[in-house]
Amino acid sequence: MNKTSLHLAIRALLAQKTRTILTILGVSIGIAVVIAIMAAGKGLNKMVMSQLEVYSPNTMTVEVKIPSTKKTSNENAMGQATGITITTLKERDLEDVQKHPNIDAAYGMVMGQAIVKYQNESKTSLLMGEGYNLQEVEKFELASGRLFTKDEEDSLAQVAVLGYTMKDLLFGEDDPVGKTIYIKGKPFRVVGVAVKRGAVFGMDMDKMVVLPTKTMQKRILGIDYMQQIVAKARNRDEIKQTVSELEEIIRENHDITDPNKDDFAVNTMEEAANMLSNVVDGLTFLLVALVCVSLLVGGVGIMNIMYVSVTERTFEIGLRKAIGAKNRDVLWQFLTEAVLLTLFGGFFGIILGAILALIIYLVAVSYNFVWVYAVPFSSIILAVGFSAVIGLIFGIYPAKKAANLNPIEALRKE
Amino acid sequence: MTLIEAKDLCKEYVNEEVKTPVLHDLNFKIEEGEFVAIMGPSGSGKSTLMHILSFLDKISCGKYLFKGKDVSEFNDDQLAQMRSKEVGFIFQAFNLLPRTTVLENVMLPLLYDGVSNNNIRIYKAKQALINVGLDHRLNYFTNQLSGGEKQRVAIARALVNDPSVIFADEPTGNLDSKSGLQVMKILQSLNEEGKTIILVTHERYTAEHAKRILRIKDGVIESDEKVVNRQFAQTSNELIK
Ligand SMILES: Nc1ncnc2c1ncn2[C@@H]1O[C@H](COP(=O)(O)OP(=O)(O)OP(=O)(O)O)[C@@H](O)[C@H]1O
Ligand SMILES: [Mg+2]
Repeated sequence: MNKTSLHLAIRALLAQKTRTILTILGVSIGIAVVIAIMAAGKGLNKMVMSQLEVYSPNTMTVEVKIPSTKKTSNENAMGQATGITITTLKERDLEDVQKHPNIDAAYGMVMGQAIVKYQNESKTSLLMGEGYNLQEVEKFELASGRLFTKDEEDSLAQVAVLGYTMKDLLFGEDDPVGKTIYIKGKPFRVVGVAVKRGAVFGMDMDKMVVLPTKTMQKRILGIDYMQQIVAKARNRDEIKQTVSELEEIIRENHDITDPNKDDFAVNTMEEAANMLSNVVDGLTFLLVALVCVSLLVGGVGIMNIMYVSVTERTFEIGLRKAIGAKNRDVLWQFLTEAVLLTLFGGFFGIILGAILALIIYLVAVSYNFVWVYAVPFSSIILAVGFSAVIGLIFGIYPAKKAANLNPIEALRKE
Repeated sequence: MTLIEAKDLCKEYVNEEVKTPVLHDLNFKIEEGEFVAIMGPSGSGKSTLMHILSFLDKISCGKYLFKGKDVSEFNDDQLAQMRSKEVGFIFQAFNLLPRTTVLENVMLPLLYDGVSNNNIRIYKAKQALINVGLDHRLNYFTNQLSGGEKQRVAIARALVNDPSVIFADEPTGNLDSKSGLQVMKILQSLNEEGKTIILVTHERYTAEHAKRILRIKDGVIESDEKVVNRQFAQTSNELIK
């Protein structure tokens, strides 16, 4: 591509402004969508990963599961959702987990739902039974008041920490600390209010009430088992080892010999994070692949325009060749036009894509998602590279056609 | 010096297995500085011959020597190079680029002749336009010109590369007699300055402005003789120097 073909190409494109603009528009929309989707993928990734931020990568969980199913399987999820309750995870397991040398701290967790009342207000709320040592295991900050103590948990004290939204719903502007609420008709003293936490895995962490696990087991649910043990490992490098050791300990506690019949599963946060990250990346990749089809359509648009242009300008090409233009001069002239079209398309596509990504970001943020606005450099490379290649590939046939025209015949077509 | 030499030159068009023989075993020479008119009835092969001599088309058999060099086997690029360096064209239909100014049209051949400096291109194109008396129309678009003016732009374009030979295929065919005379006068004065000119026409009167007439009929040379009573284009035109 030299100065002359550049000059000629620009003039030719300017001579057909509407057509040029429409072609560029077609290309830039394709590129914009690729960039926007990749940026949205980044945002989505950030959102998903931020959900895990409450847990450190050292976090491990022991969850109950239906024997002979995989922990991520449908059977397990459906079974538990439709009422199969595993009742084997007990205080003894928690104590054994806590005793493991690589475990820093651990607590048992139970979940439930109940109507919570304060004076005339009553709300259905998620109840979480969590340990007094919750803050040693995961990030949990209080906006006011305090968490319950070990003594309170051991003595089955009826104390509660409110999620931020629950506090708003029940108390409005008033300070709830020290007030009494009623859960399932039983009085609970509010000792603290959690900070705003947002949603984790679709669960609104602010619309809940946290009770000591033991209190919840005995006073609310009347059970002696738990659904999950949440633990924090000391040393991340030994975590794999710890997982298998814990598995063996709990298996023994549960009198299980065949690992396939486990009624629990030990998971690490790292695994979960990787899995989620893979899912998001896979999804993004799929979308980008789909959108690349639209780039292809843009390319066909370029080819179409170039063919029309060659046909229309047959006379001009013939004349240029008659007065000394070589085949490659003509080839370059038309190829330059095609590449210019895609480059302009790429340029506007990047701008458009960045704007689109910004809009997605603003919408996501307005929905309270933890999102990032990032236009990945790789998306720009991909979009522009792909479109330049397309411009070349789809431009080369019409350009070749022009270059190989017979000047005498071309001159007859005025 | 011999500029053009045809040795048993022949041409046949091949279209989908159908062969149309047009030129048969032509032998002739054209020296530098000549002014030759190629005459003949319609379909006799005048344009075909001119296309071959001006490197727009390839021969089918025989030899075509240009400045002593055999160009019969030249490839597309070499032919383009010859068109760019050695010949200038004037067509019956002017063949100017529309939506383009006079100056730009004349600059066009320089673009493909490797004159990369735009100022030099403009300068040369202006000189050529002064030569045909059109330097007052530099920035007109070609579609704003009269037929005679268009053909003079075409002549300027043919001249701008300072070619060895100028080919004119029926250059007066689309012009009224006055504009036609103007064109012939320019060609004659160019020839006076030493430029070789090859003119295709089917009018005897126009042909007699040349110094030599080559008559073709059915693809063979019928006669080849000097013009005895040569016509000199007289115009009361102030434009031409
Ligand atoms: N591309 C082609 N394919 C086949 N036949 C052709 C082709 N071009 C020209 N011919 C034939 O060759 C013959 C000579 O054509 P040419 O154009 O050289 O004639 P001409 O002497 O210039 O005629 P005119 O005075 O009408 O311009 C004609 O019979 C024409 O039909
Ligand atoms: Mg002809």
